[in-house]
Amino acid sequence: MKKPSPRALAQLGVTAGVIASMALVTGTVPRTEAAAGSGAGLPAASLNGGATYVGEAVCIACHKPQGDQFMHTAHAAAFRLNPRNDAQKLSCEACHGPGSNHLKDPSSPANRGALIGFTREWGTPVAQQNAMCLSCHQGGQHMFWSGSAHAMANLACSDCHNPMAKISATGLLKKPTINETCYTCHQQQRAEFAKRSHMPLPEGKMSCVDCHSPHGSTTRAAIKADTVNELCYNCHAEKRGPFLWEHAPVRDNCLNCHSPHGSNHDKLLTVARPFSCQECHGNTNHQTTLFNAGQMVGGGAAINSRVIGRSCQNCHSQIHGSNHPAGARFQR
Amino acid sequence: MKSTLPLSVVSSRGGSRPAAWLAGLVLAGTSVVLASPHADSAVGVGTVLGNALTANPAPLRGYDAAWVTTKHTPSGQLFSQPFALPDVRKAASGWEYSGQIEFGVLGGDADEENARFRMYQDIDQGAFLNNFSLNLQKPSDAFGVELTGGAAGRRDQYYGLELGRHNAWKVKLFFSETPHVFTDRYRSLWNGVGTGTLTLVPGLTPGGTTSTAADNAAVAAAAANPPTTLALTRKRWGVRTDLTLSSAWKAYVSYALEERKGARPFGAIWGNNPGNGQIEIPESIDYDTHDLLAGLMYADGLNALNLRFQASRFENNLDTQTFQEPYRIAPAAGVTTVPATGAFTQARFDLTPSNDAYNVRAEYTRSLPDFHKSYLTAVVSAGSWRQDDALLPWTALPGLSLANVVLQANGAWDTVGSLSRRTANMKIDTRLADLTFSANPTNALNLKAKARIHETDNASDPFLAVNPNAVYLDADAATAGNQTRGLTFDGVTGVWGRLINDGSGQNVLLGQNSTPAGNIPIKSAPYGSKQARFGLTADYRAGKNVGLNAALEREKIDRDYRERDHTTEDRLKLGYSHRGLGDATLRASWEFARRRGDDYAIRSWNEFFSSALIPMPTTPGSNVTSWAVRANSALHGPDLADRDQHTVNVRLNTMLRPSLDAGISAQERWADYPGTDYGRTAQRQRSANLDLNYQPSTRRSIFGFYSYQLGRNRQASIAAGGNITIGQVTGLGTVTPDNAAAIGTSPGGPVFPLASAWTNTATDRNHVAGIGLREEIGRTTLNLDYNYTIGHTRIAYTYTVGGAVNAANAVFAGSRMPDLAFQSDYLNASLRIPLTDRLSARLVYRYQKETIRDWHYRNIEGAPLVLGGGAASLPTVVILDGGPQDYRVNWYGVTLQLKF
Repeated sequence: MKKPSPRALAQLGVTAGVIASMALVTGTVPRTEAAAGSGAGLPAASLNGGATYVGEAVCIACHKPQGDQFMHTAHAAAFRLNPRNDAQKLSCEACHGPGSNHLKDPSSPANRGALIGFTREWGTPVAQQNAMCLSCHQGGQHMFWSGSAHAMANLACSDCHNPMAKISATGLLKKPTINETCYTCHQQQRAEFAKRSHMPLPEGKMSCVDCHSPHGSTTRAAIKADTVNELCYNCHAEKRGPFLWEHAPVRDNCLNCHSPHGSNHDKLLTVARPFSCQECHGNTNHQTTLFNAGQMVGGGAAINSRVIGRSCQNCHSQIHGSNHPAGARFQR
Repeated sequence: MKSTLPLSVVSSRGGSRPAAWLAGLVLAGTSVVLASPHADSAVGVGTVLGNALTANPAPLRGYDAAWVTTKHTPSGQLFSQPFALPDVRKAASGWEYSGQIEFGVLGGDADEENARFRMYQDIDQGAFLNNFSLNLQKPSDAFGVELTGGAAGRRDQYYGLELGRHNAWKVKLFFSETPHVFTDRYRSLWNGVGTGTLTLVPGLTPGGTTSTAADNAAVAAAAANPPTTLALTRKRWGVRTDLTLSSAWKAYVSYALEERKGARPFGAIWGNNPGNGQIEIPESIDYDTHDLLAGLMYADGLNALNLRFQASRFENNLDTQTFQEPYRIAPAAGVTTVPATGAFTQARFDLTPSNDAYNVRAEYTRSLPDFHKSYLTAVVSAGSWRQDDALLPWTALPGLSLANVVLQANGAWDTVGSLSRRTANMKIDTRLADLTFSANPTNALNLKAKARIHETDNASDPFLAVNPNAVYLDADAATAGNQTRGLTFDGVTGVWGRLINDGSGQNVLLGQNSTPAGNIPIKSAPYGSKQARFGLTADYRAGKNVGLNAALEREKIDRDYRERDHTTEDRLKLGYSHRGLGDATLRASWEFARRRGDDYAIRSWNEFFSSALIPMPTTPGSNVTSWAVRANSALHGPDLADRDQHTVNVRLNTMLRPSLDAGISAQERWADYPGTDYGRTAQRQRSANLDLNYQPSTRRSIFGFYSYQLGRNRQASIAAGGNITIGQVTGLGTVTPDNAAAIGTSPGGPVFPLASAWTNTATDRNHVAGIGLREEIGRTTLNLDYNYTIGHTRIAYTYTVGGAVNAANAVFAGSRMPDLAFQSDYLNASLRIPLTDRLSARLVYRYQKETIRDWHYRNIEGAPLVLGGGAASLPTVVILDGGPQDYRVNWYGVTLQLKF
């Protein structure tokens, strides 16, 4: 049995050591009230020009439709029924900040700095909006937000979320479903899901976040695993193997052959078979044949099975790997 | 049982404030669909519960008429209007509830069986339960229960139950079923589809008869029986518990069981490569996958820590699949069987093995607010994939022998004694270390440094393709008389190579006492890789609205046993965003990626072939093609080849009017493969998209979109022609053992003559458009949704007549394949009519049409038996799947929705 690479083990050990060291150091750092986690402390008093808290009853007196909708959100349930800290007890002002200055001239655009708003109309800088959300939503997946593609594109949390109403089943999204929310920007992917072969998103059986972590991850495409293959194996565990006979590009990356969102071709293939296989295979037999229209059934020339049905997989059916001793060519 | 106290019904809009907020505790009283098994989107799969009929919840629910303000997201997109508030009923016990149920009847073409129509949905005629939901809340205890479900009894049904104490703990249980229909045009020749044993239907003879013509006729007759459907059903059950342990600590644990059962089209072949008697058998599927997930999360403002453990057990309840075959297959040269003719009555596949996977992961972030507002994030992860299935013998056929091979005790090919080991014993370990350091030297500038190392370490011992209990009758053809001994490699002595396709073929070294070959697989390759990625990112915010960023990254991947030992890809990305262009937000980025690597060595696999056992012959006139040639040396696989790739993204969101927003996006990506003359030589993707969203009032909204996509893929190859022999005089020189590989694999050499070069350009074009309307007319609500999709792929090729295609066939080959074409359009209409405060009716209608043209299945539907050699010859291929078919359906229905 091949042993784990010593270098890899060393790297893993060093990294674990760094983490342990930091955790040790952390233990000596006193927690400040302002920095305490999960909104345990009140937002900084400097918010909204040094305003003071007025209480949600005052807010709802003018913003009744918003208050009515907000009641149905997870935020409301947590804040009102079982608040974990003083900030959560503030309800509206937990997110919008203290409201006393806003009351002085609530309708004046010039006074919008008196409250944190989460719409384009209100104009609060995105960085300030996001900082407010992140003051509670720390840890978990949000750990990777700062380095995410969405953060780099200067997205606001409220570009996807609407905490004021329960429009979506989960996640307080701006659209009724996860997919619709993503499609508002990722129109290209929406079009791909309309193609001949696609994942079952339009049929309501999957969502974008089955594969992606919109708040960021350690990967370039914000996928929810360390590699593409590890992600795919979450649902396609039968492809996980390891097989007795492995197919190198299959083990390397599922995307070498498949377009995950949708394709004009069967099985989410990027290129139609047999041409897909011929991008890599160039040996001295049928691998390099120019398969053509004449070889179809009724094409006029000698029929060739590689242009019929499952093409190369008519024979090489175990293309993801074979566990049969005789399966070096993925035929059993 | 005594009934509860009288209930009072309030709208959560009305009532006094305390009553209102108590009522508001009911979470989405009419939330009819799409609950989620997993709240944390970074962990686990199965994030939605729903189906095709509830994927768009808009027609199922009314809207909040009191929500009159139309606001935009910070990027300038209209927020959706909230749904109408639920009616909440309160009991004196303190419990409150609301719920709804929608049921009805469908008619028309709802029973259409077309596989394309049913691919991921199960719609049928007759009565059906579309969806239901129930919400129970006890505000005094902060306790809540939410139940949801739909499509009861159908193959796309789903159910979810969530209960818990808000902000403290919750338990979720879910079940979701998903059909996957592959074909409804499969002409099965077997009984037992879905099991591990397929037996031929009456009229067909296992192993065929003495008359191939009669066998062909029998197969054709059996294939003429009504087609059946091949599909699998995926059922997933699960439970998850989330605990808020304190303001800083949270924990979760979940378990899910997924069951997949059914069958799908599959392929089988007999004889030597390329073989004969290809038959499209059904592959039976019976999988269980157990997934366990547990995690702990901590966050205190300065530190955040995530710990996670995952374990997964995949069980294939059908470890093997045996099928009877209906043709008389002759054994390959050098193979003898008892009886010699008609022995190959059945074959056996080793289906995908049961396997285990584990992963442990730690993620830690430490904020350093006093040091340039910096933070450090470290992630380590370690995992393993393992399987140790019992291996099958080379063949299930007893009494099989090979020329020039003597079987010793326990060496029979149908016993595991003929294997180099009894179980697979395969293992791959994965490891990740990922570090990010971020700092803000100024309030406007953020800098990040990233480092990542990921390893896929294949720790498996290669499988040796050898019968250790066999020897050669004549181990040295050059020596007179028989010498019985085996060949030794990797410390194992025996007969190397393999029986293939259940013994109907063989690829055994010296198995025919003939000239040895250098391309017989003797050992499996434990592919693995290691990725190291380092990057720097700068993100500059110029004022409130403008962002500029730049990222530079280098990624090096070392791969085991591939044509290249390593590749290095450098990426530069520049990004720009502006939120203040009037009423618009503009985002644009450009990325350039340049991949290079070490020498592309196409003979890197030599150690896995018999060339590692028997050196290339040096005698003039020896055919050394199997030693010298693995592939055209100028053909580079697209995953390893040098590549220059540009990607440009532009996205504009603008508020054309306060009630109308537009989104325009475009992407252009093009990649060249310098140094790759054959294989994939270029790739281009282009996309342009437009969205319009109009919400003039609370009673009307209109949405429209259009997308265009172009994908172009160019490739080239050379149809291999002759062989290469020692001493052969070629245009590249006289062949010697030293230059045979170079000459043999070179374009323009005797094996890959330039006259046989060909190119291929595959061009995908897609147009997708849609429009949606919601209009409230009095108390009724009309929803219309129309989508149109057209996909078109043209595959055009060039070649020299007489080269890759001879003159006679060029007449038929022409210059391209018939176009692959796909067109789909559908119209959804829903008219929701309130009958009382609690009861509403909904009239639903769907028109759906799809046409598909796929040359892979051209002329197959009516003639699955492709008799390339005539009625008395074995068929070229038997394609039993008729392929995708057109359909057009109109179905309609009426439902009642009752709120309670």
